[in-house]
Amino acid sequence: MTRYAVRRAVELVVVFLGVTLVIYLMVFALPGDPIRSLGGDRPLPDNVVAELRARYHLDEPVLQQYLRYLGGLFTGDLGTNFSGQSVASRMESRWPVTITLALTAWGIEVVLGVLLGLFAGLRRGRAGDRLVLAGTILATSIPVFVVAVTAQLVLGVRLGWFPVAGTSEGWPTSYLLPATVIAVFGLASVTRLMRGSVVDTLQSDFVRTLRAKGLRQRQVVGVHVLRNSAIPVLTFLAIDLGFLLGGTVVVEGVFNLPGVGQLLFQAIRAHEGPTVVGVSTALIIIFLLTNLVVDLLSSVLDPRIRHE
Amino acid sequence: MRTTRTRLAAGALVLALALTACSGGGDGDSADGGATGGGGAIRVAVTDPVQLIPGRQTIAFDFNMAVWAPLTWISDDGELSYVAAESVESEDGTTWTITLRDGWTFHDGTPVTAQSYVDAWNAVAYGPNAWENSGQLANIVGYADLNVAEGEPATEMSGLQVVDDTTFTVTLTGPDGQFPMQLSQAQTAFYPMPESAFDDFDAYNTHPVGNGPFEVATDYAENEEMTVTAYEDYPGLEPTVDEITFVPYTDDTTAYTDVQAGNLDVAGVPVARQTQAAADFGDRLYSFEAAGISYLGLPLWDERYSDVRVRQAISMAIDRETIDEVIYGGLFTPATALTPAVEAGTPEGICGELCEYDPEAAKALLDEAGGFDGTIEIYYPGGAGMDELYTAIANNLRQNLGVEAVASPSTDWAEFADNRMAGTISGPFFSRWGALYPSQQNTLRAFYVDGGGCPNCIPYYEPEVASLIAAADAEVDPDAAAEAYAAVQERILEDFPAPPLFFETYSFVVSERVAELPTSAVGNPTYTQVVLTEGA
Repeated sequence: MTRYAVRRAVELVVVFLGVTLVIYLMVFALPGDPIRSLGGDRPLPDNVVAELRARYHLDEPVLQQYLRYLGGLFTGDLGTNFSGQSVASRMESRWPVTITLALTAWGIEVVLGVLLGLFAGLRRGRAGDRLVLAGTILATSIPVFVVAVTAQLVLGVRLGWFPVAGTSEGWPTSYLLPATVIAVFGLASVTRLMRGSVVDTLQSDFVRTLRAKGLRQRQVVGVHVLRNSAIPVLTFLAIDLGFLLGGTVVVEGVFNLPGVGQLLFQAIRAHEGPTVVGVSTALIIIFLLTNLVVDLLSSVLDPRIRHE
Repeated sequence: MRTTRTRLAAGALVLALALTACSGGGDGDSADGGATGGGGAIRVAVTDPVQLIPGRQTIAFDFNMAVWAPLTWISDDGELSYVAAESVESEDGTTWTITLRDGWTFHDGTPVTAQSYVDAWNAVAYGPNAWENSGQLANIVGYADLNVAEGEPATEMSGLQVVDDTTFTVTLTGPDGQFPMQLSQAQTAFYPMPESAFDDFDAYNTHPVGNGPFEVATDYAENEEMTVTAYEDYPGLEPTVDEITFVPYTDDTTAYTDVQAGNLDVAGVPVARQTQAAADFGDRLYSFEAAGISYLGLPLWDERYSDVRVRQAISMAIDRETIDEVIYGGLFTPATALTPAVEAGTPEGICGELCEYDPEAAKALLDEAGGFDGTIEIYYPGGAGMDELYTAIANNLRQNLGVEAVASPSTDWAEFADNRMAGTISGPFFSRWGALYPSQQNTLRAFYVDGGGCPNCIPYYEPEVASLIAAADAEVDPDAAAEAYAAVQERILEDFPAPPLFFETYSFVVSERVAELPTSAVGNPTYTQVVLTEGA
């Protein structure tokens, strides 16, 4: 187990180096000069451009820039963007927003997904089951953007139930609508996974034994079926949380939530190498870590799974 | 089974109630809590500005115009008046004497003096600072010494001389009758800065101190709302609101929606909403004439475009009226001159039939010139909402000229600018200029003088045109200057280097709290003079 964890941690370092280099090269390869576009369609004087290029080391070869960036990383310096703002502080102000949004969406997804899945599994083949199936498929097949804009117009503008945009009203008011929009998208997977798992568990021998022993339906479902069905769903949910923390660019954009997804989008548009690398590396590490935790947890939850 | 079902149903109900309860709370919050608060406060949408210092900002005009007062002001009818300056005078157009009004103070209480201006301008122009707006000062004597390619740059422009506390002189590299206009509201490089600013520009950017009607109440933080409140000791025109909050949005469509919901008072109209804005907002939609004009740039380095008749044919094949109706909801105006109509003395209609839609004449003209070989590929910056415009123009050219024509976007602005500067474009291209001061001088220089401001616009630089513009610059009398610039347009039209497309307007929507949104010659709202409805 310990050896396994160490091996995974070493892998993590390799992935980290590879990913930062590849992303740095990709941002560098984007066509166009990021300094020239700082002023939009109002060109900057040539001497200003030259001075800024030198200041942000854009006049050096790409590998030298990358090494400089790596060197900074080891001293805890994530670099700056082309306006001199520190990447670390920009990320710092945005993580709370993305984490809040991700956890809220995740919570809605867990509660609704597990409940609907359980409901459908218990009523397999009946109208309720079909309705849940059709409903979740429909919800998943509408693009997030459309759901987001429609929800904003109907619930925000027409009915006025939710704020349209921004985080000024704090949690939960400002986050409920965007989080629900994100949750709606992931709901189908959770529901169907849960449903299948419940159906399987209901058919297993131990449930028949429990029933034969005279346990009430409440106890059978509430204690035994729910817990045993939850293992595959939990694995999925943990990985999904990793995805959600990656920021949901579209939803953050539509609801004007200043999260990391938005930061990444803006940074790519502005060709800000250090910001793009910083954000995406953080995301990759989060994703790798959640995966590692899931793998380790799965053997705790189900003793049959072993990591040698 | 029955029990389970009941429990599930109950669970779902509880969840539903919980959701409604929360949303109900949200509604209450916005009603009494945040949005509009006390009397005379407005909330307006901005793009996160990052740079707030006047010499650096490129997208913080609204903020700058609230926190600073310019030397001169140009109203939307083109009239020049004095704000922080008492007078700006010159006999020869080269040496200007600026007299400041007495008794003005910065928000930190220190007096605004001639030295405040001179120091600020020197800081903006100082090469190693690499401030984005330094180009606005390029015509002052000594600017070049602060921007040397090699060696130690000077720190003070020799063309600036302080006479006394409220008077200083500016010597220009050549006579320029438009100088008072260059000191107007949107040329923020000419704003003053207090002494405290020079100690630490980063701190100053976080908490700017100006000489204008509003002072900063909350420090700038990335992507957060920023509030300015009325400055009690402001001696100029008293503001009609006492608080302005700048709310950053990354998506301008979201800001538009937020105005619909009543959480925001003013937002710009994004291209995607221009055709429906009138239906959504009725008389709460404002369209301001701006000092911007768009052209269809032509690759004059390509032989196929060297015949003037080809260029004229392309212009006459474009149906500007219909494009304006369909894409811009009729908010723009088809161009009839080479400079925006809002610029004083612009000879509207001078373009004549060359700017009018006439497909038959266009086709005949092209045939006369020997036709066109190959495909007309219109190149423009992608991702900026311009796809419809250039697709429509390509369709016009294809249908009316019988030539293959396509519109092809770059991935983004940077790629477009690079290819345009490298001269590797083989077809017509995006070309526009928004003037920061509404003088024909600004637009003509940008388009038709080499190094005049817009290197990625039309590559048409005739020495004769440049000297005609310089001659017009030398006219100190405004009317004589306007006439001289109009004569320049006449001369350029002989060569017809590229078809002008539209005079631009900037459009804004307001909430029901706003009774009137005033503007000035630069086409953005004058937030300090917004009129609120009774009781708002």
